[in-house]
Amino acid sequence: MRRFELVLPGSLDECVKALAQAPADSKLLAGGTDLLPQLKNGLLKPACVIDLSGIPRLRSIEAGNGQGLRVGSAVTARTLELDRAVRANYLSLAESGALVGSVQVRNLATLGGNICNAAPSADMAPPLLALDAEAVITGPKGERRVPIAAFFTGVRRTVLAPDELLVELAIPNPGSHSGGSYLRHTPRRELDIAVVGVASQLTLANGRCAKARIALAAVAPVPVRATAAEQALEGQAVTPDLIKRAADLAVEAARPISDQRGSADFRRHLVRVLTRRTLTTALARAGA
Amino acid sequence: MSTVMKTTRDVKGIGLSIPRPDGPDKVTGQVQYVADLNPRGLLHAKLLRSPHAHAKIVRIDVSRARALPGVRAVLTAADIPVLKKKAPTRAHAVLAIDRVVFAGQPVAAVAADEPAIAEEALDLIDVQYEVLPVAADPLESMKPGAPPVAELGTEADTSEAQAHGSVAGVTTEVKSSKAVNISQQARLQRGDVAKAFAESDVVIENTYRVPMVHQGYLEPHAVLAQWDTAGNLTLWASTQGSFNTRSEVADVLELPENRIKVIPMECGGGFGGKIRALCEPITAVLARATNRPVRYVMTRREELEAGMPAPQVIIKLKTGVKRDGTLMALEAEAILESGAFSGAVLAVAGVFLASLYLWPHFDVKGFEVLTHKPSIAAYRAPVAPQTIFAIDSQMEQIARKLGVDPVEFRLRHLQREGDKMANNQPWLSNGGVEVLTRLAEHPFWKKRAEWKASAKDGKLRGTGLSLGGWLGGLQPTGATVRLNPDGTLQVLTGQVDIAGTNIALAQIAATAYGVDIDKVKITTGDTDVAPLTGLSAGSKTTYTVGVAVMQAAQNARNQTLEIAAKELEASVHDLEIDGDRVVVRGVPDKGVTLASIGKKGNLYMSKVEPVLGASHPAFSVQAPAFCGQLARIEVDPDTGEVTLHNFVVVQDVGKAINPAQIEGQMQGGAVQSLGMALTEALMYDDKARLTNPSLLDYRKLTAADLPNIETIIVEKPAPHGPFGARGVGEPPIVPAPAAIANAIEDATGVRLTHLPLSPERIALAIASAS
Amino acid sequence: MAKQVLNFTVNDEPAEVLVQPWDTLLDALRERMGLTGPKEGCGTGDCGACTVHVDEKPVASCLLLAMQARGHSVRTIEGLGKPGALHPLQDAFVRHGVPQCGFCIPGVIMAAAALLAENPHPTEEEIRYGIAGNLCRCTGYTKMLAAITEAAGAPVGRRS
Ligand SMILES: Cc1cc2nc3c(=O)[nH]c(=O)nc-3n(C[C@H](O)[C@H](O)[C@H](O)COP(=O)(O)OP(=O)(O)OC[C@H]3O[C@@H](n4cnc5c(N)ncnc54)[C@H](O)[C@@H]3O)c2cc1C
Ligand code: FES
Ligand code: FES
Repeated sequence: MRRFELVLPGSLDECVKALAQAPADSKLLAGGTDLLPQLKNGLLKPACVIDLSGIPRLRSIEAGNGQGLRVGSAVTARTLELDRAVRANYLSLAESGALVGSVQVRNLATLGGNICNAAPSADMAPPLLALDAEAVITGPKGERRVPIAAFFTGVRRTVLAPDELLVELAIPNPGSHSGGSYLRHTPRRELDIAVVGVASQLTLANGRCAKARIALAAVAPVPVRATAAEQALEGQAVTPDLIKRAADLAVEAARPISDQRGSADFRRHLVRVLTRRTLTTALARAGA
Repeated sequence: MSTVMKTTRDVKGIGLSIPRPDGPDKVTGQVQYVADLNPRGLLHAKLLRSPHAHAKIVRIDVSRARALPGVRAVLTAADIPVLKKKAPTRAHAVLAIDRVVFAGQPVAAVAADEPAIAEEALDLIDVQYEVLPVAADPLESMKPGAPPVAELGTEADTSEAQAHGSVAGVTTEVKSSKAVNISQQARLQRGDVAKAFAESDVVIENTYRVPMVHQGYLEPHAVLAQWDTAGNLTLWASTQGSFNTRSEVADVLELPENRIKVIPMECGGGFGGKIRALCEPITAVLARATNRPVRYVMTRREELEAGMPAPQVIIKLKTGVKRDGTLMALEAEAILESGAFSGAVLAVAGVFLASLYLWPHFDVKGFEVLTHKPSIAAYRAPVAPQTIFAIDSQMEQIARKLGVDPVEFRLRHLQREGDKMANNQPWLSNGGVEVLTRLAEHPFWKKRAEWKASAKDGKLRGTGLSLGGWLGGLQPTGATVRLNPDGTLQVLTGQVDIAGTNIALAQIAATAYGVDIDKVKITTGDTDVAPLTGLSAGSKTTYTVGVAVMQAAQNARNQTLEIAAKELEASVHDLEIDGDRVVVRGVPDKGVTLASIGKKGNLYMSKVEPVLGASHPAFSVQAPAFCGQLARIEVDPDTGEVTLHNFVVVQDVGKAINPAQIEGQMQGGAVQSLGMALTEALMYDDKARLTNPSLLDYRKLTAADLPNIETIIVEKPAPHGPFGARGVGEPPIVPAPAAIANAIEDATGVRLTHLPLSPERIALAIASAS
Repeated sequence: MAKQVLNFTVNDEPAEVLVQPWDTLLDALRERMGLTGPKEGCGTGDCGACTVHVDEKPVASCLLLAMQARGHSVRTIEGLGKPGALHPLQDAFVRHGVPQCGFCIPGVIMAAAALLAENPHPTEEEIRYGIAGNLCRCTGYTKMLAAITEAAGAPVGRRS
């Protein structure tokens, strides 16, 4: 690693100030599980790094009664994996957290880091998309909210300005007749990056699908929703045949590339398989 | 040589699962590896590596790097006069002179007060490259007109083959073809292949491909170098052979060998990748330039991009058999991609392809091909897993096609002791038949139909097995055994203990001398003090050093008994060692303690010679060792995911000197074999740049991917091994790729011939078959 | 870019060390404090050799900056047990002959210790996932599983 200056703010305000004063190429540091490898490999050479670990607010989880969930950006994947409130109503998010890296990585890796790093393969992004989360962002001009679907602008690019940071994610409660699931494919069971990831969330009303969300990872520059598939499901009674059709439609939302982790063909194949499986599980959970 | 020692009681030695004495130090983090050394005044080295696989170096400007405070030396090839353009090995190519031939090749070196400063210095070195066309694929590279890799006139390097001492009698031709990148060729022929194919009923043709894989040792290459004022160099190294490291460094730097002391530190894994010198020469040069101790530790990325992996192996294989199962003809072309420098063990491929089963007619051609990739080295049983993958997959397919039992089919044709190998050498005593027979008796094999039928929830189940082995390595060695003044024994070798061999050697010494193991201490000495010895490689440490230790211990025992005979006024033949005394057989009161004999050898004015047993044997007889593996798997046909439910390893070890250590070797080797089968590959783009330079994307198997590995030891004594022991290190890495491919076919009906057998390959093959 | 003062607890003792801003926790432990039990196998979170506990949780110490450990409690393999007073896991690893080259072992034991602290009676599956972040190239993991399983059954606090 090359040399840099390290700033250690103790509050959100201090952090916003530090960020405003710091050189433009400064980097925020949360768990460091994306940033440190990038620094070590020389992909980034910032003059200044600002550590978020001293800001308690960023590490809080609040699950207000019926209010939905507020997850601080510095909440770790391990916390999401184990947290009761998250597991109760936002299971796909817990499932995605449980898949990140290894336990040694999950104890460091944060939700905010996963989202702000904006890798197409980020596991915690599809559940957030499927749960209609909103990103709460702060900066010198105050706070703003951005729907998660609009947060990503490209590979490793987001709507965040250089002087802004992600404070938390606000996730509406999907309700008791809703169920979700996240699955990904990796050649190894742990310690691997998604070849494809799919999150599905189904909300039922009167035996029909009131709302469907399907979000895909690692098949496009940004995490994407499979809207055609969602529309095919909404308003319908969800049968195995319909799930199959939705899975076929989901493939159309994918614009995969071939790389060292998998070919475009295999990725399309996986979108179909994993969409079918996550929808089947989501349906069972919604009904339960 | 498998002498049975005469003692009045069994000593605590051979055959016991004694834990390694370094266990407590290893579980508490006390054992020292090179990177743990932190002498005063330490400097940190970093290397600037080429981003291009093939380029001319037009200009290097290091002035800005030299000016950075904290930087103590910045070197390029121009600063090292001993470097030559026609570098015969990677070790000699210390820094690129005017051309780089693989991405990751060192171009400049820095030593600085802190690693961070050294890295910044690398950023400040300005190199101007002229990018040249790249030979990235061996099949393209072997054609005439491909971009040349080696400098004209560079000799092929066959020392790796010699180091493993594995195959005699294969003539390897060096560079005769017009294709500039074919660095070695070999051919083995017998009979009339064309006629035999014409008479065959079933002809099967396949191309097998095994990508470059990395040995994956967990400790990256590391070295600490320091010079004294008299001009002697000390290297603390992570090496599989300190004498080899010394020779190579001496050769590269043109130093007399006795000016270099190599201290072998605990080696955090090698598996063949730490045989050859790699970063030792440049670290030594930096230490001399700065007059300070310099430590160089490769990053994992550097290991993957610029280590010395196993070659990519492409085998085109055609076999012909009669309907009644008679083997007729085998034709093969084996292409070994060696990267930028020659060094593949070409002969192994040829011999294994045509020697394991008895083919009356065969024609095997081998080519070593250079490409613009990091040059290769040995990896545990070099080229055997790749070759067995091809031949065993082929045997399985033939058996299926003929509708005969695959084990019986293999057993029918498996060569036995005395049969002629493809190189016309006779097969030596081995346990191939015993191993395969034992494997086939396993309930998992017998119940393979039930397993297949038990599949549910859309999954598929299958069972597969495979048989492979290793011919065994040889290398001269030496050992001494001394009797201490308190009656304990001191064993000294120069052999680096990379596999728990020291405890086995101590057990051999104990049994051969006739005392309990807790009386024996074994030390691996540095190159200044230890007897010259070979590499810890080729499954030959126990087999060869074991003999040296055994003979040295017998020698020390004889000296001890002679001294006692004088003292007791008895004949040597009437004496025996019982506990800590030498006694007259049948007269237990008449004796003398080992301590008193030891003491007299070290008393002022004593006339008793100190007991010093020594042996320095050379060897001529190998001990082939076979391993069979069986896999019970489940396949998810939609995702291609393979779940390993059970995995069994059966291995002939000759004599299990320390069964627990052997099990550890069998399990570790099996998992490396499974990694090669399922997930591992160094992947390159069309510019020969590595696309997966991390352990996240270079996927070694984790505990979550595996079942417990069941081990079954078979003992068919090796006539010349110590107490009948054979080498155990290499064989277990050989069979899994074929065993898994066979199991996948059993489960899914799909035959895969390219490794790794990844989910993608499996799922897409199933999808396209249905 | 001056050195910074890191105040934290290491193996139950308060510690104050000067570190560089860019030092990882692993660097600080190994190079500035001489605690070389944790190893660097990759430096990027992919192998687990550097596993230590921060506030009793296993983390890859190559992935956090030393200063991020300020005010926290760190335990390394050196703080788990000593030769002569081994932790039950260390004792089981020795008796089962687990260590071969040994490079992965400190990390594996720290991961296993964290697992057992959280889940004293894990299933085989839970043990496998608990150490899945630790690559071992020598052992094939089988003997590790046996040792961890046995240590899990051993009475808590036993010292051999
Ligand atoms: C071995 C290993 C395995 C991994 N496996 C997975 C996996 O399975 N799935 C997966 O999705 N990822 C994986 N990752 C990647 C990584 O762990 C995750 O993306 C993680 O969630 C990143 O979080 P972090 O806190 O470590 O981020 P950091 O590295 O601290 O930060 C990442 C980026 O986000 C920025 N950032 C962080 N917080 C904020 C904020 N509050 N506001 C603005 N910007 C911010 C940083 O500046 C940086 O650019 C793995 C990484 C490793 C090393
Ligand atoms: S060194 Fe930290 S995980 Fe490999
Ligand atoms: S014992 Fe060598 S890596 Fe585990």
